[in-house]
Amino acid sequence: MNESQIPSAISRRDFITRSAAAGMVLGAPGILHASSKTPSDTINVALVGFGLQGIVLFEAMRNVPGIRIKAVCDIWDRRRIRGSRRVRGRQGEMPNDYVDIDDMLEKEKSLDAAIVATPDFWHAPHTVKCLEAGLHVYCEKMMAHTIEDARKIVLAAERTGKLCQVGHQRRSNPRYLFTLNHLINNHNICGQITNINGQWNRSLRASQDIGVNPAALPDPEILKRYGYKDGHQFMNWRTYRELSGGPISDLGAHQIDIYNWYLDKLPKRVYASGSNPYFKDREHFDNVMCIFDYDTPQGEVSAFYQVLTTTGAGKGFYETFMGTEGALTISEVASSTAIYRETGEDTEEKWMDLVARGFLKRSSGYGSGSSDEDEEGAVASYASPPPEAYELPGSMPLMPDADGRMIPKPAHTPHLENFFAAIRGQESLNCDARKAFESEAPIFWVNPSARLEEPINFTQEHLSV
Amino acid sequence: MSETTSKSNASADEPTPSAPAPSDCCSPAGDAAVSDKLAMVSGSVLLRVWLGVRAIQSGIEKFATTAQVDRPQLADGEPTGLSETVTVKAYSLSAYQGIPPAMEDTFADQPLIPAFMLPIYDAVLGPALLILGATVLLGIASRASLFLLGMLYVSLTWGLILLGSAGDAGVAWLGTHIILIVLALQLTRHDPLRVLKKW
Repeated sequence: MNESQIPSAISRRDFITRSAAAGMVLGAPGILHASSKTPSDTINVALVGFGLQGIVLFEAMRNVPGIRIKAVCDIWDRRRIRGSRRVRGRQGEMPNDYVDIDDMLEKEKSLDAAIVATPDFWHAPHTVKCLEAGLHVYCEKMMAHTIEDARKIVLAAERTGKLCQVGHQRRSNPRYLFTLNHLINNHNICGQITNINGQWNRSLRASQDIGVNPAALPDPEILKRYGYKDGHQFMNWRTYRELSGGPISDLGAHQIDIYNWYLDKLPKRVYASGSNPYFKDREHFDNVMCIFDYDTPQGEVSAFYQVLTTTGAGKGFYETFMGTEGALTISEVASSTAIYRETGEDTEEKWMDLVARGFLKRSSGYGSGSSDEDEEGAVASYASPPPEAYELPGSMPLMPDADGRMIPKPAHTPHLENFFAAIRGQESLNCDARKAFESEAPIFWVNPSARLEEPINFTQEHLSV
Repeated sequence: MSETTSKSNASADEPTPSAPAPSDCCSPAGDAAVSDKLAMVSGSVLLRVWLGVRAIQSGIEKFATTAQVDRPQLADGEPTGLSETVTVKAYSLSAYQGIPPAMEDTFADQPLIPAFMLPIYDAVLGPALLILGATVLLGIASRASLFLLGMLYVSLTWGLILLGSAGDAGVAWLGTHIILIVLALQLTRHDPLRVLKKW
């Protein structure tokens, strides 16, 4: 990749001008599955970016059958060499390794797919290159650090006809799918959803800058060539505005995607507030709180979301959908998932029926929750009786780890399995580029709203390709 | 085992309980004697079976392991895509552990246990429990088998004593076994249902 291709942030005016033209391609058919591969064919894969997230994805696909890692690409030799050894540990042969993606695409002619896990500002250039080289692509979320670059991915996927799955892995998580398809859509378990509340609270310790040992870093010339002004920026690109969308993009994107997916609706407005109470020199906000307003067929929904990088308190990360008949808290952490029936509503018979049919389980903590009863045993007039707690009827299936022990499937595995099954023509993508763009588009406007200190009312221009 | 051996053995070392005279067969004293004999036979057999089963199953458990497996969850009879993880028990030769893994390090740190003895004891314990359990259960050389089983329990007791207070409950538990073995040795002569009555 040459320097002229280094992506850059665009101004809002530029974006609006360009997006009008981009919007012309709305309606292009989404490419959801391919069938060039038969189920028995080995899929040759390139891993583009072998940092922390690259390792997560590699480990998640370690036991997916029919995959061969043919090439590894990373500008840092340390990661590239370690990554190649990991690959050899899995498949018994070293992959070919490359510093430069252009070099890889030129030499590797038998590749079928690429897994892109580079920093956000490289997602679009790398994904578009791979798509144009004829590869199917699994691209980590966010699709890009700017909405303009995200658009380029959608257009490239639809132009080339290649599959492009974006790494919103919750969309393939069996618990999220079961909750949406069975509990919310089929059985309307929440009743009318009126509010959503979600968060990702991350401790200060986990939010610190990553230390840099200058001697171990890539050559400064290489860093400059690939868009980093120095080693700190290379290691901590998530804290720079020109390279990343910050915490709301890194962490919040996963969960705000669930809001849009579950409601099957995009918000009409966002208003956000951001602050830097601790990391005062950082370009991005430490903490962001925002509210998305939706108009759904059932009525208005207000959705609150907060991402905090200054505390891990408050039970980490989850999304709660609150309705007139019940509330549902779901998280990638299975133990944080819980379902509550609103007492006082005539829903007991319906919920007991769902338990009997296997859609719900009574929580082991059922009936042991705190009570608002006063000394006389009467519920205080100002308080609500405690809701009854239920659980999902199961969790993520198991799979063998590297030592053959059975462990719950890693969170990213079902999404990768879906990607490879789509390449073989067996399934449709759960989060193709267009779906991902539609869900990510509102997130691009959270930081601007917080900086402007005013709400942003979405128009077609804000949210369309 | 030959019938002759069995009979001669029985007559040589096992005093026959005082058999009621033919004329006493229907007297209250005769009835009591028959009942006493029946009780002694039943008691000796029961104790032998208990000790045998106890030892055999303890030996089998040395080959036990657990594994987590998926149980697909159904709703309305259809797969939900969700699974319940259940722990299942399985037996295999490869799972053999004579000394429980949790105790292995503790024993290895004991100065009174020679290092070379530990792997030998680990290898022998399970098969010894199985073999002695089988011989006690079947009544093959009951006295010798019971004695050796008792010695095995003594060895286990010694190991538990080395653990200090953490092993006290186990020591008491094995002490109960020793008492039962002594009782079984006492009752052996009343047990006619043994395969090999010698020894």
